[in-house]
Amino acid sequence: MTRPERVRERLQHPAAWWLWGLGLATAASRTTNPVLLLLVVGVCVVVVTERADPSVANPLVPFLVLGAVIVVLRLLVTVVLGNGTGGSTVLFTLPRVPLPEWAGGIRIGGPVALESLLYALYDSLRLAAVLACLGAANALASPRRLLRYLPATLYDVGTAVVVGLTFAPQLLADARTVRSSRALRGHDARGLRETARLAVPVLETAFERSLGLAASMESRGYGRALRSTPRDRRLASAMALLGVLGVLGGLYGLLDGSVGGALGLPLLVVGALLAAASLVVGASRDTRSRHRRDEWALSETLTVACGAVAAGALVVGSVAGWEGVVPPQSPALPAVPLPAVLALVVAAAPAVLTPRPRRVHDVQEVTA
Amino acid sequence: MSADTGARATVTTAAPTSPVRTVRPRVIGLSWPAVAALALVGLVGAVAFAWPFLASADFVRAHGNDAPWLFAVLLGLLTLVCLAEVSSGRLDAKTIAVLGVAAAAGGAMRLLSAGTAGLEPMFFVVVVAGRVLGPGVGLVSGALAVTTGALLTGGVGPWLPFQMLCAGAIGLGAGLLPVRPAARAERWVLAAYALLTGLLYGAVMNLWFWPFLGAGTAPGLAFVPGAPLTENLSHYGLFYLATSLGWDLPRGVLNAVLVVVAGPALLRVFRRAARRAAFGAPVTFESRADAVDRDVPDVPDVPDVRDAGPRP
Repeated sequence: MTRPERVRERLQHPAAWWLWGLGLATAASRTTNPVLLLLVVGVCVVVVTERADPSVANPLVPFLVLGAVIVVLRLLVTVVLGNGTGGSTVLFTLPRVPLPEWAGGIRIGGPVALESLLYALYDSLRLAAVLACLGAANALASPRRLLRYLPATLYDVGTAVVVGLTFAPQLLADARTVRSSRALRGHDARGLRETARLAVPVLETAFERSLGLAASMESRGYGRALRSTPRDRRLASAMALLGVLGVLGGLYGLLDGSVGGALGLPLLVVGALLAAASLVVGASRDTRSRHRRDEWALSETLTVACGAVAAGALVVGSVAGWEGVVPPQSPALPAVPLPAVLALVVAAAPAVLTPRPRRVHDVQEVTA
Repeated sequence: MSADTGARATVTTAAPTSPVRTVRPRVIGLSWPAVAALALVGLVGAVAFAWPFLASADFVRAHGNDAPWLFAVLLGLLTLVCLAEVSSGRLDAKTIAVLGVAAAAGGAMRLLSAGTAGLEPMFFVVVVAGRVLGPGVGLVSGALAVTTGALLTGGVGPWLPFQMLCAGAIGLGAGLLPVRPAARAERWVLAAYALLTGLLYGAVMNLWFWPFLGAGTAPGLAFVPGAPLTENLSHYGLFYLATSLGWDLPRGVLNAVLVVVAGPALLRVFRRAARRAAFGAPVTFESRADAVDRDVPDVPDVPDVRDAGPRP
């Protein structure tokens, strides 16, 4: 592929990729049409191969494997234990295993119908497609880059996570060192007792290192970037408590169903918004200059819009009941709604529209 | 902020009277709004896990497919609110360093055991941290250990909020165990706790994806919308026995054995780190004139790190 000289290579804003992934996941969760779902997985694979974040190992593959395992397990369970949906097209019959009385409604073996296999396949494919979208988001923008955008109230917690991310590989290196030195002294390097022996020197070193880090953080005026008055904190606490209470009330209304609609979803949404706002109110940061800022340019907006188009089309389709969005389990190819296919093709556009990621060293900082 | 040049800070710590200090430092004190928020979020978490047993049939018809995703988003938000309330901008650098070690240990364990799902000895560090540094630290370090593991292996998915809540609860519970620090029974109490939580963690974590199997899996194991509570409970029990107990039992046993074997030494490591960080030591400012004629020790009196514990 040739690309114009003027397009600078840069990493896209991580929030754009995650919003795109969540949009595509929303689209996948609204349909059980295997054609559309495989198309979603295809879109994920194409975009990741074109624009994966080079600073991390590609996590899409484990997510795809997990999805495949889910599909295979569901089919196996359906063959052996059957599922609630009977069918007229019996493929083959397994011998029945007699079970004792207490096992309730479980049956092992019996006739296997094509319809029930299709039901299991469609349903588990949907879960696999949603997982593929999340894996794609993980691969396109490493979630640790999102740590920068935590609200100021979570500044401390975010810093602790960054410290953890930095020290975890060193911890493993320490463990290897201790093991090899023990092996040199003639200890057998296997067994639980040996693992336990490793833990003490390794953690001891980790504490040494991190308390040294704490001392240097304090001497450099750590945490002065935060402005938070007792009044702010009290307001945030009050909002958080009210928000969680609202969420609880909303859940009660939703789950009970007899309370009425006004107490359900609206109250839940208001409570969640209050709780989210409490994260913003509690503290604020001093503005400061930043190294290597993530910019939000036209390509980010387009990326989010492409994800939103896919989500919108399938939500509308499932509400309006387009033919083929939720196909029946009949032994025939399901109808494929053309608008949904077009929307998913649009969702693949970021593979071309976005700037190519440049290899940068993963800067781990939560400065803001 | 410029330092006040006319004053000098001294940290005064009581010299340890015995080799093992039995005073538990309050590293993250829980204020009453934080406790209230924790209790309420715990309730929401209980609903998020147990909704298949509570929901009416028409709720499942209307939202059955979306409910697990809704609860994942909701719990993610509320867990962040909880962490913000518990930390509330009061963590000093030393606390962050200790939390960072717990998070690093969780992340490293996840890197090691990426292939063996279920055999996660991560909890054993979280249990020890909660035990030594109190329920607040246990909660935060549990949540952060799971998060760090997920960020390192790129496994950020809908299961993460549920895992954060469970791991945080395990650390919190370890901090509240009614056993005297450095007592002879401590090792066994912690081991029993690790075994129990290892089993419970699996039983509870399976609940989040059980509804995904929907009404369309094997009769007798599947979630039946609107069925009486006892029927769904027995179905879930059978499902758990069939799918998950084989993974959870080894995890619980492994954690318990690790606590029995390495627990006392690890507790010593954590207690020594807490003592050296001098949490809760009063910081007093005095003018330079007073400081000249009084011999104030600058460094807290701590035993040398290298004189205890097995040598590597």
